[in-house]
Amino acid sequence: MTMCRGSCQGAGRPDMTPVYPTAGSYPDFARLVDRDTAQVDRRVFSDEAVYQAELRQIFARAWLFLAHESQIPGPGDFIRTSMGEDDVIVVRQRDGSVKALLNSCPHRGNRVCMVDAGSKARGFICNYHGWSFGLDGGLRGTDGKVYEKDESFEKAQIGLTPVAQVASYKGLIFGTFDPEAPSLEEFLGDFTFYLDIMLDNEEGGTEFIGGAIRSEIDCNWKFPAENFVGDILHAFWTHQSGAQAILGGGVDLGKRYDELAFQASVYGHGIESNLDKVGNTRTLGYPELVDYMFDLSERAKARLGEVRARAIGAVSSATVFPNMSFLPGQNTFRVWHPRGPGKIELVSWTIVNKNAPERIKDLYRKGVMMTFSPGGVFEMDDGENWEYSTRVNQGFVTRQQPLHYALGLGSEDLERDLPGIVHKGSMNDANQRLFYTRWAEFMEHDNWADLQNGATAAPARPKAAAE
Amino acid sequence: MIELCNSTDVVEGEILRRDVEGFPAVALTRHEGQIFVFPDTCPHAEESLSEGWVEDGRVVCGVHFAEFELGSGEVHNRPAGCPNLTFFTCEDRDGKVFARLKEEA
Ligand code: FES
Ligand code: FES
Ligand SMILES: [Fe+2]
Repeated sequence: MTMCRGSCQGAGRPDMTPVYPTAGSYPDFARLVDRDTAQVDRRVFSDEAVYQAELRQIFARAWLFLAHESQIPGPGDFIRTSMGEDDVIVVRQRDGSVKALLNSCPHRGNRVCMVDAGSKARGFICNYHGWSFGLDGGLRGTDGKVYEKDESFEKAQIGLTPVAQVASYKGLIFGTFDPEAPSLEEFLGDFTFYLDIMLDNEEGGTEFIGGAIRSEIDCNWKFPAENFVGDILHAFWTHQSGAQAILGGGVDLGKRYDELAFQASVYGHGIESNLDKVGNTRTLGYPELVDYMFDLSERAKARLGEVRARAIGAVSSATVFPNMSFLPGQNTFRVWHPRGPGKIELVSWTIVNKNAPERIKDLYRKGVMMTFSPGGVFEMDDGENWEYSTRVNQGFVTRQQPLHYALGLGSEDLERDLPGIVHKGSMNDANQRLFYTRWAEFMEHDNWADLQNGATAAPARPKAAAE
Repeated sequence: MIELCNSTDVVEGEILRRDVEGFPAVALTRHEGQIFVFPDTCPHAEESLSEGWVEDGRVVCGVHFAEFELGSGEVHNRPAGCPNLTFFTCEDRDGKVFARLKEEA
């Protein structure tokens, strides 16, 4: 497009239609993950070109977590978040639905909404020249003295770019920039079976309490995501001293580890659990919460079945590909927003059952703050590891060196009556291998048919078998 | 006074716009039964007030959210430089709304 010089008479009017970028294919980057040797090339953590490809292939296409319904209960309630590096406003409409809008003015691009969250907004006004947008993102007005007199100005065509699709799963609102993306439920696939452990273990569902905690960590976004997808191994080393301080002993695997512990993965989303009922809840340090969890687990059997009822408070962790993670039982819930190959912005919340007693909610709020906040016992342990795992790759020679992701090769469990790709034992690199396999699929494929039918898709299983 | 419309056209809580020969567009609303008539043009940046709404006894401009008290026209939540709104004298005569519109300057 060229701007007119001199007289603009007869020049074309601006096309203000939202643009949704299309994906490409990066087979060279996909090969950085080698499934046969269970290896991940360190360039995925440091290379700027790889990072830019991630923004295009993954963050501009995948369904990304935006907000919990409880954060924006009424019309005009909004929060500001990111999808990849794109700044987004998530806002409840007057009809109760939710829209997500790119937080950039179509005039000169200025950020329109500056605050992190708010309630009962009437709309959003840009600071630069006063363009005003409704809750639906449509341009409401500018300056009538000027624009009413400009014949070429077509207000109805202009607005904040809407996120292409927005949908909820049991209280969690997600969005995707890809108009062609399959439904949220297809994207999550059978992983909803495991999400329900956290989201649907009791009538009434969940809510976020006590606001968000933001922090920055100088690490690649995939280190925390792969950590939560299936790295319980680190807990016995990294968190040993913290666990000792709180529990008076080390992290406990549970008595029936060999029989019960597993990892499961669907489309790169993953969970690992020891099914020991209360192991995660115990690490918050409040005996009252442990009693609550035993009781909840008992009550949840009718709703979730035996296996999932044991998982609600168990030693466990989960990631929804690409960058949303949570810990059942510990109730921390978080998103790792990428900020370049070597930095993330971590936003975390405390999630509780809406119908839990106030006293229990408060203990969770305090417990999470003491353990999984920037000053928390466990969060500090983790951050430093991820920072150095990232930073050493500045070394030219260092970043040529192989990494080992091969724990538990050959441990796939074909017998276990659980959805997804299931492996024996929670101390296993299986989910992390599948997380990177999913990553490689996103690098490789420019279409959803291939994306949804590759190696990370869950094997078909008889429908009722899960219970 | 100039006839604007039937008084039944003016609905509680809603803003109606009328174009009258020789005058800038006017807006009408009804609040607690009483009818109010005012310029449709917002005194802030000349956007249309009939695209706004009425809330707590005030006309709210939908563009930069200036709020004008019904009757007095006093401005609240004032964008820089925004003057008060001037309401027109009006009457409900036998089911018709009449108002004294100012001549165009
Ligand atoms: S950049 Fe937003 S109004 Fe000009
Ligand atoms: S035009 Fe009405 S408040 Fe700005
Ligand atoms: Fe950890």
